[in-house]
Amino acid sequence: MSEPFEPKIVAFVCTYCTYAGADLAGTSRMKYASNVRIVRLPCTGRISPMFILKALQKGADGVLVSGCHPGDCHFAQGNYHARRRWTVFRALLAFTGIPEERIKFSWISAAEGAKFAELINGITEEIRSLGPFEQYQELQTVIETQSTY
Amino acid sequence: MGIQEQYRNEAAELLSSGAVKLVIGYGEGSTADRRRPVFIRTAEEAGRLVVDANCLANLSSYLVQEGLMSDGKSVAVFLKPDGIRSVNILAAEAQLNPDQVVILGFDIGAGDASPLPGRKASDFTPLIESLKTAGLSPELQHEADRLELMSAAERFDFWKEQFSKCIKCYACRQVCPMCYCRRCIVDVNQPQWVNTSSHTLGNFEWNIVRAYHLAGRCVACGGCDRSCPVNIPLRLINHRMAKEALDAFDHFAGESTDQKPVLATFRQDDPETFIL
Repeated sequence: MSEPFEPKIVAFVCTYCTYAGADLAGTSRMKYASNVRIVRLPCTGRISPMFILKALQKGADGVLVSGCHPGDCHFAQGNYHARRRWTVFRALLAFTGIPEERIKFSWISAAEGAKFAELINGITEEIRSLGPFEQYQELQTVIETQSTY
Repeated sequence: MGIQEQYRNEAAELLSSGAVKLVIGYGEGSTADRRRPVFIRTAEEAGRLVVDANCLANLSSYLVQEGLMSDGKSVAVFLKPDGIRSVNILAAEAQLNPDQVVILGFDIGAGDASPLPGRKASDFTPLIESLKTAGLSPELQHEADRLELMSAAERFDFWKEQFSKCIKCYACRQVCPMCYCRRCIVDVNQPQWVNTSSHTLGNFEWNIVRAYHLAGRCVACGGCDRSCPVNIPLRLINHRMAKEALDAFDHFAGESTDQKPVLATFRQDDPETFIL
């Protein structure tokens, strides 16, 4: 166990705000953890809860979902709808025992490159201290190793 | 005259006058305490109807059968308050025209069935409002509280044990009046969101998605729970979602035929304490 654990984090972001914020972090030469894999979507309203489950299924240790601040949505209402969905989906995940600390939600505007970099660094450290999401990943291992499935 | 006699007469009257083309009700089941759905098309058959405390199923599921309502004719259906709420939701989600549904309402209390006055969905609004005031099931809340006191890892183990029993028969989906999608997300295979074989991971995903799709829509009729062949406490997870919709958005499913679906609407001041 000499190698430190490097968490896999999947970020589902909207193209108009958070992706632009991530872009700003990059063009401003800010450093942030390379553990994050960014998936760019048109709007937070396009982010289906299935995406979060799929990320976990494929071995993510943490998921970030991020979009425009309320009132700033390019499509006017997408993030308001998304916010309601996240509220119930987050409660559901917590109730089924998927730790809340692994699924993060944030608003990051196109001007908040620094916030993006800080958030990614913060989440990476938090997930690193939690360790890999073994409980969930074990279930996937069973499928891959048992021929009956 | 008992409730059963009263409703048999009323069903016969509705059919012979041509007010409805079909009565969906309960008949004798395979054992003395079971009831199975019956579909009555003539006044002579109305004698097969049974109304008593064993009539548990939420018959509103049958109203969304493809093509049943498309001729514009009316259908009468036996419903408990939960079933009436289902009809409200189906109407609010544009799955049926509430004017085509004649509700033969009854409620079960103290081991006996009693008739509910009113025949149209809107007649029951005061009743449903009183249900909202009465709140969600305290027994289920007690059980949910017990789970929520556990650590996330313990809760995961609890559900892992429960979901590992699932055989993916989809009885919970088939029985549910809210699961009317022509193509369910689990049947979508490009991309394959949910694993189809019944291993625990796929079962987790299926049960999470099912509960999520019922958030703010489930009326706690208990159909999924009763139909589950391996006794997964599905009612518990549905209850947690209903509680979230009620606490966060003051949404009680099926209040009226024009209630906006909870996840298809929003308020600018919705709670967002968890968003960074």
